[in-house]
Amino acid sequence: MSEEILQLSNISKTFPGVKALSDITFGLKPGEIHCICGENGAGKSTLIKIISGAYQPDKGGKILFEGKPVSIDNPHVPIQLGIQTIYQEHTIFPHLSITENIFVGMEITKNGIMQKDEMQEKTEKVLEYLHSTLKPDQLVDELSSGEQKIVEIAKALVLERKVIIMDEPTASFSVNEIDNLLEITKKIKERGIGIIYISHHLEEVFRIADRITVLRDGMHIKTCKVEETDVQQLIRDMVGRDASAFYHRDFFEPGEVVLEAKNLSGNGVNNISFHVRRGEILGFAGMVGSGRSELMTLLFGGAEKLGGSVSVMGEEVNFKNPSDAIKNKLCYITEDRQFTGLFLIHTIARNTMIANMVNTKGFTINPKEEVEIGDEYVKKLDTKAPNSQALAMSLSGGNQQKVVLAKWFNTNGEIFIFDEPTRGIDVGAKQEIYQIMMNLLKEGKAIIMVSSDMPEIVSMSDRIMVMKDGRIVGELTKEEVSEENILEYSIGGKKI
Amino acid sequence: MRQSPVPQERKRFSLFGRGDNSTVLTVMVGFFIAVILVQIFSSVSDGALEYPSFISPENLLNILMQVSVVGIMAMGMSVVMIGGGIDLSVGMLASFVTLFLAKGTVDWGMGLIPSLITVIILAVVFEAAMGLAISRLNVEPFIITLGGMITFRGVALLICNSIEVSIWGALDPLKANLIEGAKGPSGLALVIPIYVLVFFAITIIIWWLMKYTKYGRRVYAVGANKNAAYLAGIGVKNMVLSTYALNGLLVAVAAIMLLARVNTAIITIGQNLEIDVIAATVVGGVAMSGGKGNIWGTFIGAIFLGAIANAMNIMRLQSEWQFVAKGIIIIAVVSAGAYVAARQARGQQRRQLKEEAAKTAK
Repeated sequence: MSEEILQLSNISKTFPGVKALSDITFGLKPGEIHCICGENGAGKSTLIKIISGAYQPDKGGKILFEGKPVSIDNPHVPIQLGIQTIYQEHTIFPHLSITENIFVGMEITKNGIMQKDEMQEKTEKVLEYLHSTLKPDQLVDELSSGEQKIVEIAKALVLERKVIIMDEPTASFSVNEIDNLLEITKKIKERGIGIIYISHHLEEVFRIADRITVLRDGMHIKTCKVEETDVQQLIRDMVGRDASAFYHRDFFEPGEVVLEAKNLSGNGVNNISFHVRRGEILGFAGMVGSGRSELMTLLFGGAEKLGGSVSVMGEEVNFKNPSDAIKNKLCYITEDRQFTGLFLIHTIARNTMIANMVNTKGFTINPKEEVEIGDEYVKKLDTKAPNSQALAMSLSGGNQQKVVLAKWFNTNGEIFIFDEPTRGIDVGAKQEIYQIMMNLLKEGKAIIMVSSDMPEIVSMSDRIMVMKDGRIVGELTKEEVSEENILEYSIGGKKI
Repeated sequence: MRQSPVPQERKRFSLFGRGDNSTVLTVMVGFFIAVILVQIFSSVSDGALEYPSFISPENLLNILMQVSVVGIMAMGMSVVMIGGGIDLSVGMLASFVTLFLAKGTVDWGMGLIPSLITVIILAVVFEAAMGLAISRLNVEPFIITLGGMITFRGVALLICNSIEVSIWGALDPLKANLIEGAKGPSGLALVIPIYVLVFFAITIIIWWLMKYTKYGRRVYAVGANKNAAYLAGIGVKNMVLSTYALNGLLVAVAAIMLLARVNTAIITIGQNLEIDVIAATVVGGVAMSGGKGNIWGTFIGAIFLGAIANAMNIMRLQSEWQFVAKGIIIIAVVSAGAYVAARQARGQQRRQLKEEAAKTAK
């Protein structure tokens, strides 16, 4: 297939402990929109980063550009080749005009003097071509995020790029802006530009794709023409794992309701209602950015509640801050251990004691007791550390997670919020964390779990709430829990 | 199967065992040995000891007197820095306190005790105001306290009309010698004024506060990781505010001791004092990044810097060279501490990688 402008063969990428991509083959033709689909962590972003020079692939793979082998070992190579990546976050200078943004670093000069009129003219032409009402000398600061994306596309056209990569371009767009962007994307492909398009939103994919490539767990699953597949088939391709990827757990008879939210709003989430009972795990599924962690922070008193009500053990509560939540037996194991969970430069013992201070009386601390309790949890959770005087930063990811757990167990909490409980943890430690969660259930505690790890959420949850754009879009009972159902709600946009 | 147990931490050679203070202690001991050697040689060549030698009891007590004020202020600075902040305004706040106190007692007829109480309250309120801005508006403490420093300077100048004010010995009781009549081996009187005792008392109180109370634990937690501290139920903003308020109290106490010592308030009295205070604190092992360090280290740091200055005076080093030497010593001690910490971290990482490699090999 020499007609392909960009060809990747046998591309792999290994990070310490994880194989993010293995033997990926991918091709892009001029004038084609090629969509890449896959769950969180399937390897889409890694692939893009390899094409744009942010990551180096492992040895053994080959990249051909216009038939010639190239080695993309830094981010400047793709720019020289004519590949433009439009990232999810804006890479734009807000205080400069549209023209200045487009030509930044590539100004047209004559004898060292900028040719402002020429640049202005070129920009104007492209904006006209895109049927945009934007003016070249408008400041980018004043534009909406949808308009800013158009500036980036205009940049690619002005600089006559041959390949454009769009990573989740429609995130935080309004419906009109999405329509507009999809139209523009279709229009520019007629110029013979090859476009790689990545999106969680399958409806967008089916509106614009010529070909679709599916990735799963870093592997290439299939590439096909858009006519050859449909939403159902695509979801099956994205999830079709074999049974060994799942875990087996015992289920218990759930007890009384310990936490109930009714029409809860605030911190970017809207109208959330759910309850969780003793002895069960309530899973929260959804794409990254669907508002799950925001909901958990809100529940824990870390953000202002704008509406609705929360009751704990049957009594309505109004948490002003996390301290109130802790007093009411809530525990919050956050998704980012190092940033929001641990005091890395302090000892395990100190980390263990800190959250329970809101519950204990008195002003002083008994250092002997501190060490004893610290050591007790090191033993109980089988934390791999010499003793509780070791610094948290000296531990591996799984053992750091155990220190976070010790901190919350020490508060005698009843309701545990686990946000991505096993992220960045190796397989052995994962099993240990699951065992610890099972023990909590046996003791009659309740667990709310947010997870983007599909096998984890499917096999660990009693019930699952699916979130999208800050709202709950589906509830799955134990019988209904499956990867297909979760994906249908979270990306297929199935209405309830 | 159980994984192999984690290897116990290897014993490393260190003069003073484990801990953040070992570097500064090692350097300090080396320094003292060097000073003593120099002294022995110079006294042999001079043949006479006109001045008290460095290690004489008179001089050691002298050092304590010289470091008391900086030492008390360094206690407050340590609390602020462990909580993740910094305070550049302490020198000028001290100038303000001395001038207000002298003016209030001597010129305004407020009486000594009401002046003392007023000025302590003012210092706490001023610092609390800065703490309020730092914790609520999220502005860099460096900027806020820099503004505070300039403001305090202005207020102090307004009070004194740019002239010095004597307090006429009103604070002399603070200078009272606790060992009146005691004489050293060379026949000179030994002096331990009350304010040295105040320095020790404050050191012990702050050490206890930071090590054995919930308050101390929370300050450390806030300095180490604000986000985690908040989610662990700590009122981060009030915590930060309180460290500055406490610092205000300690600056006021230190400034009162300073005025007792010199008897005359003048705007330059606190000039550059913040430099010495911050130097003592960081030399003692408190990290600028917060959450790390301890009061015992600061105590040693303050005495160490005082001892250096004293030794250089005794050796009759030119004051220009004293600055150079002091600066280089501060840089060297803090760099050495950072180097040792980095080496320990590297060793730790290497052990961890080895462990992981062993695990995957299985």
